[in-house]
Amino acid sequence: MKTTISQNGKKYNVVLTGRIDTTTAAQFEQDMKPLMDIENGDITIDCADLEYTSSQGLRTFLTLQKKVMTHNGQLVLTNMQAQVKEVFDITGFSNIIKIV
Amino acid sequence: MRISKSFSARLSATILLVTSILFITAIMVVSYYSHKLIAEEAIKSASNVLYTTTIDINKTLDRVESTVNNMQWIVEEHLDDTTYLYHITTEIVASNEEIVGSTIAFIPEFFKGKHYFSPYSCNDENDSIIVKQLGNDKYNYFEMEWFDVPFKTKEPHWSNPYFDEGGGQVMMTTYSLPLTDKQGNIFAILTADISLEWLTQKISSLHPYENSFTFLLCKDGYYITGDQPNKTMKYDAETQNKTHNEYEQLGKRMIAGDSGTLQIGDYNAFAVYGPLYNGWSTAIISPYKDVFARLMRMNLIIIVVSSIGLFLLFFACFRTIRKLTQPITEFTVAALNMAKGNFQARLPQIHSQDEMLQLYNSFDYMQKSLTHYVQELRSTTKENERMESELNIARQIQLSMVPTNFPNNEKYDIHATLQPAREVGGDFYDFLVVNDVIFFVIGDVSGKGVPAALVMSITRAAFRFLGGLGLSIDKMIEKINGTLCTRNETNMFVTLFAGKIDLKTGLLSYCNAGHNPLIICHADGNAEYLHAKPNIAVGVFDGIPFNPEQIQLEKGCRLILYTDGVTEAEDRDKKQYGEQRLLDFAQNIEKNESAEELVSNLMTDVKSFTKDAEQNDDITVLTITLKQE
Repeated sequence: MKTTISQNGKKYNVVLTGRIDTTTAAQFEQDMKPLMDIENGDITIDCADLEYTSSQGLRTFLTLQKKVMTHNGQLVLTNMQAQVKEVFDITGFSNIIKIV
Repeated sequence: MRISKSFSARLSATILLVTSILFITAIMVVSYYSHKLIAEEAIKSASNVLYTTTIDINKTLDRVESTVNNMQWIVEEHLDDTTYLYHITTEIVASNEEIVGSTIAFIPEFFKGKHYFSPYSCNDENDSIIVKQLGNDKYNYFEMEWFDVPFKTKEPHWSNPYFDEGGGQVMMTTYSLPLTDKQGNIFAILTADISLEWLTQKISSLHPYENSFTFLLCKDGYYITGDQPNKTMKYDAETQNKTHNEYEQLGKRMIAGDSGTLQIGDYNAFAVYGPLYNGWSTAIISPYKDVFARLMRMNLIIIVVSSIGLFLLFFACFRTIRKLTQPITEFTVAALNMAKGNFQARLPQIHSQDEMLQLYNSFDYMQKSLTHYVQELRSTTKENERMESELNIARQIQLSMVPTNFPNNEKYDIHATLQPAREVGGDFYDFLVVNDVIFFVIGDVSGKGVPAALVMSITRAAFRFLGGLGLSIDKMIEKINGTLCTRNETNMFVTLFAGKIDLKTGLLSYCNAGHNPLIICHADGNAEYLHAKPNIAVGVFDGIPFNPEQIQLEKGCRLILYTDGVTEAEDRDKKQYGEQRLLDFAQNIEKNESAEELVSNLMTDVKSFTKDAEQNDDITVLTITLKQE
């Protein structure tokens, strides 16, 4: 699991690589911390290389989504692989988080 | 103890060795130079003694000669008065204490009818002077050296030592002065005798060293006096010491009238020698043994004192080092004790402000740290044991929350299993049958472990409570959602699938809140996923509606509900069990299989897929079979 965050003004580009599972979920949450308190942030998370996410990972996405909404920002997940998208669909998270 | 001893001994021995070498070197250097210096001083001092004595003897001899010479003209004036001649010899003896006898020996027939005529005076035993006429047939003085030699050479003469039987009755030497008439013819010999006793005493008193050997040698090699009194002997190098050529050399030099020093043998002795006034020569031979006796004694004292000193030094070093290193021994014992687990091992008391104190401080620090660390470890271990024990109890409680009495009657057959990945987990299932209606639920709390277990118990309690109120499924889930959303700071959410089956009609009302789709195994053996309208998981947003759905079930069909622990069960290569394999399993269920067998077979199939890989998520399966009547 690897998280790369690059910033360009208020635009944040995040690239996720690997698997968010039992062993990496806590680290993923830690990696996302800096993004939680940004005002008017425009966050794009590239999920092209995200292979898997557990329910704990989903919880982090959910928390991030809620924080972004509170801070009037935007969160978009892009290039999501089918099996990951399915998890978001099943749990109904695709209804809450914008996935393109 | 052994180490300390040998350490002290070794160090002490080294110090002793180095000190000894220094001592010995110093003694040798000092001894060498002292030796040289003393040898030089000895020769100087012996020469001085010889010189002083030579002057002394010369004076005496000179006095004797002067006395005799001064009487010459008196004799010549009184040749007509033979009585007075006795007076003259008496005067000579009386005037000079060294002179023990004196005579005026006349040639035959100097006085008519007197073949022998020699008035003679000498000291007797009582130191009074006796007078007599010396010459007669028994005492034919014409043949004696003291008369014969000066008579022939017409020169004054000192005789060789001789025992004067007719005259002084002592060992003596005689100074002879020839008296001549106007024509130069010798008519008498005027003499003075010197007792060799006096010379012997004089010579014997020359003792620069205890075993110094002094002697006089006259012109033709006669040994006049030395340390063997009353003996005159001809000096003979061969009889003196055959191996010592130096004696011969000494004799030759002395006879030649030289003065100087001569080394005898291989540093055995040295001789100083010098001539006397009358052509005699005297020598002092001093053995080096005596010369260096004091030095030897001093060296011996130094060696003894040094040895005692060295021994004391060794003893002091040994004691001091052992005392200084004693704490090391005690530290060793303490370290061994500490290694055995006794962290209170007594450390030696250190009073010095040195490296030993630093060692003590390090040891003390180590001891305290270890004690602290072990205490912490013990308390942590205890804490861990307590937590483990509590988690085991929690596991029992959690497992007893889900029903384990599974109904299996003519209408339906229900079975389920819950296998948490850790002690406690976030999966759960439940069912209850009220008036021919089966309520059932399966859920999965995000995350695992204790946090998940807490949320799970709330959810399950809410379901139990709401299930008995006769609410529709969607309303029931909305209420559960409301409960979970309250103060949900950590954004824990639950995916769950809840439904109710009316046993009379076979109608299944259900609502899927973000959970995996269930599988329906139809009576004909065909199986399919029931893709319900997706709802958001419970606990995400408060107050949102959940869409209920309905489907008509036929008799003989089965429902298989599961959590993602089944489909996402992974083998060692992180390959997932997957929905397809689960569907394949569902399609191959035997018709008459009981719900319990179904669950058991599914678990076996999952296990045969993951093999020895660790279970990473809670696994829950719930299956309901509607029996054919």
